[in-house]
Amino acid sequence: MRLSGAIGLFALALSFALPTHGAEVKAETLRGPRIGELYMVVVRDPDAAVLALERGKLDVLGDVTRPSDIRRISKNPAFELSMAQGFHMAQVGFNLRKSPWNAPELRRAAAMAIPRDRLVRELFSGYSAPLTTYLPPMSPYCDKEASAPRFDPEGARALLRKAGWTWDPSGVLVPPKGKSPLPPATILSPTAGVAPTTAELADRIAGSLREIGIPVKAEPLDFAAMIQRIDEHKFDLYLMAWQLSRDPDSLYAFYHSSMDVKGGYNQTGLKDAKVDRLLEDLRYAPDEPAARVAARAAQKALSDRLPIIPVYTRFSVAAVSKGWQGTVSTKSMTADNSWSLLAMSPASGPMKPLYWALGDEPRTLNPFTASTATDWQVLGMVYDTLLTVNPNNLEDLPWLARSWKVETVKDPGGLRTRLTFVLRKDVSWQDGSPFTAKDARATLLFLQKNAIPRYFDSVRDVASVSVPDAHTLIVTMKNVSYWHLHSIGGTPIFPAALLGRVKDWRSWQPARNPVPGKAGLTELYGTGPFVFREVRPGDFVRFSRNERFWLIPR
Amino acid sequence: MISMRGYWARRLGGAVCVVAIVLVANFFLFRLMPGDPVSTVLDPRFSPQAKAELEVLYGLDRPLAVQFLIYLERTATFDFGLSFATQRPVLDEILSRLPNTLALLVPAYLLSVLLGTVLGVLAARRRGRAAEKAVLSAGAISFSFPSFFVQMVLLLLFAYVYPVFPLRGSLSIPPPQGTWPLLVDRVWHLALPVGSLVLLGFGGWALTVRNLVVKVMGEDFMVLARAKGIGERRLFWGHAFRAVLPPLVTLFLLSLPGVVSGAVLTETVFSLHGVGRFLLDSVLGQDYPAAGGAFYLLTLITVASNLVADFLVQFTDPRIRTGERSSS
Repeated sequence: MRLSGAIGLFALALSFALPTHGAEVKAETLRGPRIGELYMVVVRDPDAAVLALERGKLDVLGDVTRPSDIRRISKNPAFELSMAQGFHMAQVGFNLRKSPWNAPELRRAAAMAIPRDRLVRELFSGYSAPLTTYLPPMSPYCDKEASAPRFDPEGARALLRKAGWTWDPSGVLVPPKGKSPLPPATILSPTAGVAPTTAELADRIAGSLREIGIPVKAEPLDFAAMIQRIDEHKFDLYLMAWQLSRDPDSLYAFYHSSMDVKGGYNQTGLKDAKVDRLLEDLRYAPDEPAARVAARAAQKALSDRLPIIPVYTRFSVAAVSKGWQGTVSTKSMTADNSWSLLAMSPASGPMKPLYWALGDEPRTLNPFTASTATDWQVLGMVYDTLLTVNPNNLEDLPWLARSWKVETVKDPGGLRTRLTFVLRKDVSWQDGSPFTAKDARATLLFLQKNAIPRYFDSVRDVASVSVPDAHTLIVTMKNVSYWHLHSIGGTPIFPAALLGRVKDWRSWQPARNPVPGKAGLTELYGTGPFVFREVRPGDFVRFSRNERFWLIPR
Repeated sequence: MISMRGYWARRLGGAVCVVAIVLVANFFLFRLMPGDPVSTVLDPRFSPQAKAELEVLYGLDRPLAVQFLIYLERTATFDFGLSFATQRPVLDEILSRLPNTLALLVPAYLLSVLLGTVLGVLAARRRGRAAEKAVLSAGAISFSFPSFFVQMVLLLLFAYVYPVFPLRGSLSIPPPQGTWPLLVDRVWHLALPVGSLVLLGFGGWALTVRNLVVKVMGEDFMVLARAKGIGERRLFWGHAFRAVLPPLVTLFLLSLPGVVSGAVLTETVFSLHGVGRFLLDSVLGQDYPAAGGAFYLLTLITVASNLVADFLVQFTDPRIRTGERSSS
């Protein structure tokens, strides 16, 4: 008790030492980029990354996850740390397809038996927060009132007793009307070698469940083996973490009965007609207010059924050298973001290159097959989307589209969502040609025609795309859903001239193909703030400022 | 009596069988591993239908027998197909990393062997003296320390506390201009990783060489040679060292594949873009074409090393003449 108390005090002290988030910025008024040259430096080993930061070989280091590293960097006056809550969620899932986990009172009691606060304090040194909600608390759609029950082991026992559960002489639960105690069960988790804290957490959760008579022990597994066991429904409970987004679409994927299929994410096997109906209301909401109402109702229903127990959400931490100023960090975004790249400049002296750490090597710079976060860290410098996300309140912000409209229209085929985007007129491609609605249309049709897996869900419901003038794009969908706005608005736009030349999207290597007549420019070009210059595999990716970028003051 | 031609026909036949077995195992073992490249895509925004498209992209929607035939055809022509992760030809991926791996491993391996052999000989010739004790201790430490730990300590000492060497990568950022400055820069970047591998690798060689030499020095033929009045120098280099050469040559060649796969940690710690790390990523990411291609090439290196070892041992050890042996 004394040790955990000391750890708790330490974590508390440290959380005061660290800024939780930066000052609110007016993203709409940011102008840039100011940086002339950007190097994204590959440093795969986290120890080497911290050393490189301290030696001044890196200016920005994101995704610092180990408490020891955070403590070390926080003591160094040369760096500024930013911490944000993000969209991480770790949860315990039950296999609802089988007894005893299909008993709601047992799941509720289990949720009440887990001391989230203590576990988070002891295992994560204050860099995580206990979680009881069904969406990340940062999501604008998270309903904090629709939450899983809090820690109350006595209440859990009373609840089970009231439902007719008893305990055998060894303290193991016996189901109502049952004669034999619950059989031993396991909670699947990644191995300690891969995820030490998660494995330890699974062990402790199992211990907490045993306290109320649920005979569970942790079963650490290779991650692929764990996923296979879950896919084959050969499990009792599992502990898994997800990186979600601001939208509540994950609820449909996780809990709609149609997603309990091969390749689906309804891992718990929840099949509930009311939940299904609410999730359909959410998925096919015609507008934002309706989506908000449906999201709230769905979360309320889930908090009654408890298919999972939310456990904790991990904070993101990033470090930036104080040799730079103008970083943007908010309560949901650490400083290693694209807004910072627009606003950053040296704290003193002339302009200099910025060195930004990449925790992994980009696997491919083909935007059609790129799938890892690292790939998109790089590609995100080059390509833009119609809309972006306001870092302060996570609402939609105009980007390549300066305004938009979401309507429900009726035609002989039924009701459909129609999206009208009015595009900016001051945007040009990095090769100097103007950006028009034809580029957006070519992109959407190219992605749909080729059924490219990464974009498949974004464009599959596109019924038609029309371009009434050079700067207006009208996308009519096959059905009604407000979320089409984010699917279409969040899709990177590629130059139509280039798409016409792509013979095989699978093997296209734009970074290797120079654009004739444009010195230093490859086919990896877009409208984004930085121009791709070169990649040295394993070492770095180099960019220069896009002098044509529409946010550079002229 | 088996002729030399018959012996080599058998050896080559055996090698082909080994390659064939590995080829088949390469295909099925990866597919028997838990999970698959599509099921481990964990993103709730990726629907089951999108995953089905991914299966089509990877060619995993076809029957296993068809996949196997395609695999056999590709492997036979050294076209391992496209990597799932990068959608680039596997051979291109391997070849683009090979120069870095060779630049790391060739000097590291040769220097380890050279240093280990020299120290092993020194220890054997100075038995019971301080030199032998020093070599034995250094060899044991070098042999037993975990590479990751040693490399991190070296990095901390010589790239951070005393920043003599760079912290990461194979070249400076931005890279220097001109061929010579670039070459010097590459050598400077490789110095610490190569040095660490030598430090970790020489010990095993020193202990092996020392033990082999000590054993040979006590053999009857050495006693006889000494009784004949042959000088110590000739006794050692002409008789003892020659006798330990065959096992050393065999060990040298058979250790080669292990050296390649053992580069994984070094490439990670020093952020090098090499084949070892590619191998690990391919296996962890269940990138069947990439992992299959990389393992197939490793198998070829192993089998070729084995054959070369057999060939060279004939020259270093006059006792090994298959025809003579079987006739005696």
